[in-house]
Amino acid sequence: MKKYLKDGPLTVAMIGDLLSGTENTSKSGGHSVFLGQVRSDEIGGEKVTAIEYSAYESMVNAEADKIIEEISVKFPDVRSTRILHSVGVVKAGEFSLLVLVSAGHRREAIDACSMTVELIKERLPVWKKEILNDDSAVWKNNT
Amino acid sequence: MEVKVLFFGVLTDIAGTNIKSYRDVNSLSDLKHRIEDNFPEIVHYDFRISLNNTIIENDPLLKDGDEIALMPPFAGG
Repeated sequence: MKKYLKDGPLTVAMIGDLLSGTENTSKSGGHSVFLGQVRSDEIGGEKVTAIEYSAYESMVNAEADKIIEEISVKFPDVRSTRILHSVGVVKAGEFSLLVLVSAGHRREAIDACSMTVELIKERLPVWKKEILNDDSAVWKNNT
Repeated sequence: MEVKVLFFGVLTDIAGTNIKSYRDVNSLSDLKHRIEDNFPEIVHYDFRISLNNTIIENDPLLKDGDEIALMPPFAGG
């Protein structure tokens, strides 16, 4: 079962489900959300129409568990951290990453969300191939 | 004994597959030589190696059933 990975784009319905889970949780004072979206960059005159993500799933699960644990130690005010990442093809304009951090106070929610996104970029074994409008494809590294 | 090697990112193109089994390899350095013999172009690429989900930098002995992954720089998000 995929714990942190979802096939294809993250839909508004998926994101809504996750957000609705934060209602009526009276222990949190704020929630910070980051949404990553596929950007239509231009490479050598060709536009990026989609990204195909691949991942090492068992290591993503192990590493995301560790990131969530580290965030809870660094920010004791954080009540929960949720991560969803796409695998497979995500078209330009669609969402590929969701981080939702709930905390007792806004500052911790925002800071912990920001740090979680950075740790995901640095440590989750995920790769992306940009698909261009001439149907060619280019492997891309994070910059 | 047999170990499983997983190729990710650009290395799947180099190997032409995302998984390959190797038999009777003693150590990681032994395995690396075998992989380089099979796919000489791989030496031009930057990648890290994990053994059973943990990134390693030393040269451990391998045992039956080990899973080794060759991982180019990550690109999530």
